Amino acid sequence: MAQFLQQMVNGLSIGSVYALMAVGYSLVYSIMNFSNFAHGGVIMFGAYFGFFAMTLLKLPFVASFALAFVGTAVLAVVIERVAYKPLRERSAPFLYFIISAMGASIFLENIIIATIGPTFRTYPDVFGRTSISLGSVSIGRLDLIMFVISAVCLTGLVLFIDKTKMGRAIQASAYNMKAAALMGVNTDRVVMIVFALGGMLAGIAGVFFGMKYTVYPQIGNITTKSFVAAVFGGLGSLPGAVLGSVLLGVIETLVAGYLSSQFRDLIAFVILIGVLVFRPTGIMGKTTEDKA
Amino acid sequence: MRIRNIVAAAVVALALASCGGEKQADVIKVGWFGALTGDQAVWGNNEFNTVKMLFEEINAAGGVTVGGKAYTLEAVGYDNKGDAQEAVNVVRRLTSQDKVVAVLGPNASGNAIPIAPILEGAKVPDIATVATNPKVTVLDGKVKPYNFRVCFIDPYQGAVAAGYAFDVLGARRAAVLYDVSDDYSQGLREFFIENFEKKGGAVVADESFKSGDVDFRPQLSKIKAQNPDIIFMPYFFKEVALSANQARELGITQVLMGGDGWPSDQLISMGGAAVEGCYFVNHLDYEDPDVADYKARYLKKYGIETELNGYLVHDAVVLLVDALKRAGEPSGEAIAKALESADVKGITGRIKISPQTHNPEGKDAAIIKIVGGKYIFQQKYAAE
Amino acid sequence: MSSYIEGILMLSGINLIAVLGLSLLTGFAGLFSFGHAGFMAIGAYSAAVCTKLLGLPFVAAIAAAALVAAGVSWLIGRATLKLKGDYFCIATLGFGEAIRLILDNFQGLGGARGWPGIPPRTTLLNILILDVIGVVLLANLVRSRHGRNMIAVREEELAAKVAGIDTFRYKMLALVISAAYAGVAGALLGHYMTFIQPKMFSMVKSTELTIIVIFGGLGSISGSVLGAVVLTFLPELLRAVDKWRLVVYGLAVIGIMIGRPRGLMGGFELTPKSIRAHFARRREERAIKAGRAAEDGDEALSGEADGKGGL
Repeated sequence: MAQFLQQMVNGLSIGSVYALMAVGYSLVYSIMNFSNFAHGGVIMFGAYFGFFAMTLLKLPFVASFALAFVGTAVLAVVIERVAYKPLRERSAPFLYFIISAMGASIFLENIIIATIGPTFRTYPDVFGRTSISLGSVSIGRLDLIMFVISAVCLTGLVLFIDKTKMGRAIQASAYNMKAAALMGVNTDRVVMIVFALGGMLAGIAGVFFGMKYTVYPQIGNITTKSFVAAVFGGLGSLPGAVLGSVLLGVIETLVAGYLSSQFRDLIAFVILIGVLVFRPTGIMGKTTEDKA
Repeated sequence: MRIRNIVAAAVVALALASCGGEKQADVIKVGWFGALTGDQAVWGNNEFNTVKMLFEEINAAGGVTVGGKAYTLEAVGYDNKGDAQEAVNVVRRLTSQDKVVAVLGPNASGNAIPIAPILEGAKVPDIATVATNPKVTVLDGKVKPYNFRVCFIDPYQGAVAAGYAFDVLGARRAAVLYDVSDDYSQGLREFFIENFEKKGGAVVADESFKSGDVDFRPQLSKIKAQNPDIIFMPYFFKEVALSANQARELGITQVLMGGDGWPSDQLISMGGAAVEGCYFVNHLDYEDPDVADYKARYLKKYGIETELNGYLVHDAVVLLVDALKRAGEPSGEAIAKALESADVKGITGRIKISPQTHNPEGKDAAIIKIVGGKYIFQQKYAAE
Repeated sequence: MSSYIEGILMLSGINLIAVLGLSLLTGFAGLFSFGHAGFMAIGAYSAAVCTKLLGLPFVAAIAAAALVAAGVSWLIGRATLKLKGDYFCIATLGFGEAIRLILDNFQGLGGARGWPGIPPRTTLLNILILDVIGVVLLANLVRSRHGRNMIAVREEELAAKVAGIDTFRYKMLALVISAAYAGVAGALLGHYMTFIQPKMFSMVKSTELTIIVIFGGLGSISGSVLGAVVLTFLPELLRAVDKWRLVVYGLAVIGIMIGRPRGLMGGFELTPKSIRAHFARRREERAIKAGRAAEDGDEALSGEADGKGGL
């Protein structure tokens, strides 16, 4: 029983890591209708921004954190302007967007390898390594803080989308970009704001990743798990992304803990294919039809 | 540079072709390859720097006398990025374009195995540095004629770790966490379990992860529930540091143990207190008086500390120079023949090549303990 | 020929086969795969089982590699090709990793430590023969009605559907054929290296293949041929600046997409007919120029600047 409780805590903690990545990715998907595979690269930059702010600029944690997510928001907007906007303007097929995203992702990872180098870097210790014990279950301090901050950010995002004028413009554009433009929504600005928001979430995720798992150029590869999680939950749905992430985290943990750690990812993959066969839109996905 | 290489290669080739290495040529080309870029770059650069430094020293002291004639040594090195396909490319290039008489490296078994047919075709021997998979030199019970190495092999390292854990540390219940997608990790895991169980110990958990994973808590929680005496972690320092930190976070206080993938400055900076008091099997004792001289020379020339690979490539050079002297002529075939009967004293121990396996026989392993953030030598340990 | 040059030629010939398949999948049918190296792995291991364990001839091993890879791809296609392209992408991502995980765990075939001692059956000659067969088969396919339908699916899936094209069938056809090509490439690679290891078939390998297709140009077979040969030789020539290679590739991929999506060849196919047509046009142009002292040359073929200039 003690092990089961501990495994649930592990699963939730891993799931919340996936969620932080999956939401930014899903948000962009809901507007642009394509998978922004450069998201992992932006997360990696966030980890480096935070790291260098703390070690080179000697900034306190909160300032470094802010610097990181502002930096990634700018980076995400720049990527959109350079790599996607020209495609958007001539309404290129979705394949071109994905290839462009792949190019951006390759560029981001390798520019770090070529300039800063492939070595691992460790964040300075901020919250302490000792964990909090509740009976036989232990919870990492960082995990708890991460959980709280992610929850705050995600709530903030939901409020922004539900309550503000810009949020409603985002919703309208997600529903139908062309119709929204006809109704007077500045869709170009909407896209920019969405990328900035996605970039901010990537920066937050990046800093936490760096603190939790060290910083290195391939750290963005963990995002592949969050793509899978987003499909679980239903592409383009924010609550779906969160739910899918938590589910994937828990499933993976239980598989590793009780079935076989050797085949963990294989079993997760089979479950994914199963979900796609029986429920193609994921748990809470919107329609899979192409928007004409 | 390229033109000079080609010209030099042509000269060597002409000389070799005309009269079996007579008066004209006085340079012997030796190849090296390994990862100079990518995440193994630290080790590759360390190896190549060591080779270049030793060749300079040898040349300054008058070179190597082969068959009554003095030759200088020239190192030709290529980056294979730690990739098996690239390894095949660069060895083809070394043997057919650069006409080297011998190849040093690589450090990864997965890169050393596929080059065997090319070496055999070109009749050029290779001395691997830290490639510990048995199949590097022996395949299907037959020794590969042109593959040699200076390190001990995985079954031996696994046996040493199991023996030390059982006999010296008194562990009876062991747990294993390993990287299922890494050849080195799988090899050590297999031979550790085999030997630990042979001694009468029980392996109570056998868990794995896959390269690129960063969270090991599900596996560690399962291991914790089995309450082992020791946890064997046969993989590289980055994952060791991450998994050790996570194990301590989960309240696992047991001693951790590993292999030669552990030693690195980064293990201490990333793992810190989590690996304090833990043990690993190594190829040598860093404080051994035999290695002090090389260590100091390397530090003086390059301004940084040498890594584990440097010591082994040092001994690969020692082995090669000895074989060259006894070969009678600077040809790959003659060198390979001389290597089969080599018995030299290197800085990592005595290297007596077995003609049946092409491995150094009876090389002791060193047990290192991490105390106060330092690698403290415990004892030499030989498995039976 | 030096063994080194021969080795590189063999590798580019092997890459070419995989690239041809991927060219059909991505360049013609518009499907993006992250897991193509997985099909190569299936091919490499199936072929090695045939020659090393069952003692079958190499030809049979290659056929088996193509069949097994095609069969597995059919299963994946069944589950994902009815959905939007992203689902297929993510499924291939999971698939590539899952195949490696199975091979890593399967000690009977060497596990992660790899499988040495595969007979060296791959020669430059059999690679060349398969390259020619591969190009001819593919050229005939894309010039048929099926090829045109695939392009329609790539450009405007919805419109293609409305026009009565069975989009699912064409996507499936492209996937199965491209997986068979990848399987053959894997079989050749295994018998060239004489050693296979799951590590050799990582996502990076899939990405590099896709990059070749994009450089050669979406929807151009001769572009893929050129791309495979040039991009296999290039890293060998540029070893000194290798760490910048992928940085440049990344930028170039974006540049090609926004500036010249049809790649270096720009949809121009190098066939005897097209070459004759090209020279005929040049003659005509010269004739016209001579006739009226033209003020500006026609740049239709030499084209806009290389896509890399796009940034």
